[in-house]
Amino acid sequence: MENDQYNLKRVFSIVNEEDLGSYTCEFGSKAKIDFVLAAPQIGEVRDKPIVSYVGDFAVITCKMEETKPEPRTWYWYKANGTDKEQIIAAEEPLRYEIKNEERNTKLVVSSLVEADGGLYFCGAVYAISTSMSNVELKVISIHEPLKPFVAIVIEVIVLVAIILLYEKSQSKKNNTAAENGTTEQTNTLTQGESNGPGESSSMRQRKV
Amino acid sequence: MAKLRPKAESQGEGPDGGYGWVLVGALFVSTSLVFGLMRSLGIFFVEFVQYFDESAQAISWISSTGLAAQQFFSPLGAALCNAYDTRWVVMTGGCLAALGLILASQATCLVHLYLTMGVISGLGWGLVFTPMVATVMANFTRRRTLALGLAFSSIGLSSFAFNPLFQLLVELYTWRGALLILGGLSLNIVPCGALIGPQRRSKAPAKVVSESGVSCASFLQRASSYLELPLLFERPYITYTLAISLLNVGYFVPYFHLVAHSRQVGFSEYQAAFVMSAAGATDILGRIASGWFSDLGHFRLIHLLSVWTTLAGVFIMLLPVSSLSGSYAALMVISLLYGFCSGALTSLVFAVVPMIVGVERMMGALGLLQLIESGAGLLGAPLSGLLKDITGDYTASFMVAGGFVVLGTLTMVTLPHYFSRKDPPPPKSLSPEDPDKAAELKQMHSSPSDMNDLTGEVTNNRLPEDTYS
Repeated sequence: MENDQYNLKRVFSIVNEEDLGSYTCEFGSKAKIDFVLAAPQIGEVRDKPIVSYVGDFAVITCKMEETKPEPRTWYWYKANGTDKEQIIAAEEPLRYEIKNEERNTKLVVSSLVEADGGLYFCGAVYAISTSMSNVELKVISIHEPLKPFVAIVIEVIVLVAIILLYEKSQSKKNNTAAENGTTEQTNTLTQGESNGPGESSSMRQRKV
Repeated sequence: MAKLRPKAESQGEGPDGGYGWVLVGALFVSTSLVFGLMRSLGIFFVEFVQYFDESAQAISWISSTGLAAQQFFSPLGAALCNAYDTRWVVMTGGCLAALGLILASQATCLVHLYLTMGVISGLGWGLVFTPMVATVMANFTRRRTLALGLAFSSIGLSSFAFNPLFQLLVELYTWRGALLILGGLSLNIVPCGALIGPQRRSKAPAKVVSESGVSCASFLQRASSYLELPLLFERPYITYTLAISLLNVGYFVPYFHLVAHSRQVGFSEYQAAFVMSAAGATDILGRIASGWFSDLGHFRLIHLLSVWTTLAGVFIMLLPVSSLSGSYAALMVISLLYGFCSGALTSLVFAVVPMIVGVERMMGALGLLQLIESGAGLLGAPLSGLLKDITGDYTASFMVAGGFVVLGTLTMVTLPHYFSRKDPPPPKSLSPEDPDKAAELKQMHSSPSDMNDLTGEVTNNRLPEDTYS
């Protein structure tokens, strides 16, 4: 006992994965602390899904921060129901490509099909165990953005048609009025009206 | 008909009419789809960096190319409007801008993006902005600056709205789908152009048709007249363009570096971003307030512009000083004041142009002004970056930037008739063959202070014809 404090120490030998987990230290009924022993966890996790198109490619990355030790290597897995299947790039080089640098890893999935959507796991492999992080990949068809796009194009065409047709009907009205016009004054004023919305008066030309 | 003309003019069927406000709305929408859109492209850059595996600097060239193209093609847009109908030029510009974005959605490499989002869309934007601004300005006399201020407030407002919208689009459809939808949105410029209505440009080659065939020399002569190239030889215009270019060198520096400077002084990311947003909000206020105040007619526009630019320059120089004390409140106050002044001067920069060159040549003048000031703008950012690299902090950059702005004001002081109370008479650009037109032009050129004298006469004649405006 030193300085009115009890110091308790115990050495554990962590040999394999089973030795990891939750440890508790209890000092009678007075104090209790929990310790969690684990491999370095992947901190930066992307919570939003990565979206890509059918036929395009998608890049999924995982990073281990500078403050944590480097993993030995990285593995990638795809969720298959409740199971995880390891992705071995060598088996399907046209579809998968894994680029590993010490602290980050990239999985490139090419020629996407809808079935490629789902959860992907990257595993940082350490001697003692592997820590996982997951990212969701969503594959959508090209028709998805086309729907709002076409809607907007239709709206634009309708607006332009309305504006041009309204203008034509205005000028037709004024032309018939001009023909039937009794006084010159009415003539000038109606001509002015048809010009008003259309022309900037500084550029007004006398229409003969 | 001739004797009825003057009466028709005084009945107010000319500028400041009801339809002018429709055009202000059209300018509002198209400006937001040009500059508001350009300002919010940052959302895409993160995606591009990841997808194309390129550096941030390479990606940032996309928007630099787009802005440069917009400014470079401004004289072309102006010249085409002088030669042909403005509405078709703007509508074509809208289609080009949309096309650029739609093609960009199919890009497979970075160069595609430079060519589509940069060049094609930039060309479209160049054909849209200057013509629409010139059209609105031609439709207003008394409330010209207010109209411009209201329309330009769209830039700030739309970038508030576009940032979250683009973020959402990218999350739902990735950048390809988002760009496609943006292309569709940009098509909305086309109805804005359609609202301009049919026009006959006074520069239309009615006289030139009689020439036999199109020779190279006659084409060049017409092109030079459409582009208003002779303006480049007139001292008032050159002085003003030089002043605005000097202003441009320093004007954008706070937008580029204020956040970084705030972070360097020790404020958090969130605080720094908030300073920028606050300055953006006062920018919007400044545009509208300055527009409204200028049109009251108490002062000449050029004097008001000088005041705002001087204040803006001073506040830019004060920005690093205010943060010396480490006080967030001081930095915030100066930034708010800077935002207000920089917004206030934007409304006036364009409105002064017809005072100098006349309404007839305004279109081409604006185009050339945009082109020349763009070169200066390109200088500003790298220069301030260089100063920061040499000195280690942003104090020198801001001081130099503020200095350039004040230098611009001093250049403006050398304009002819600067110190007179009233605006000088409009330059004689037309031969006086058309006395009615000259009378009309006189009304167009009158500044707001002159108009107050005419108001009594105008309203008396206007009352029964109010329904027509």
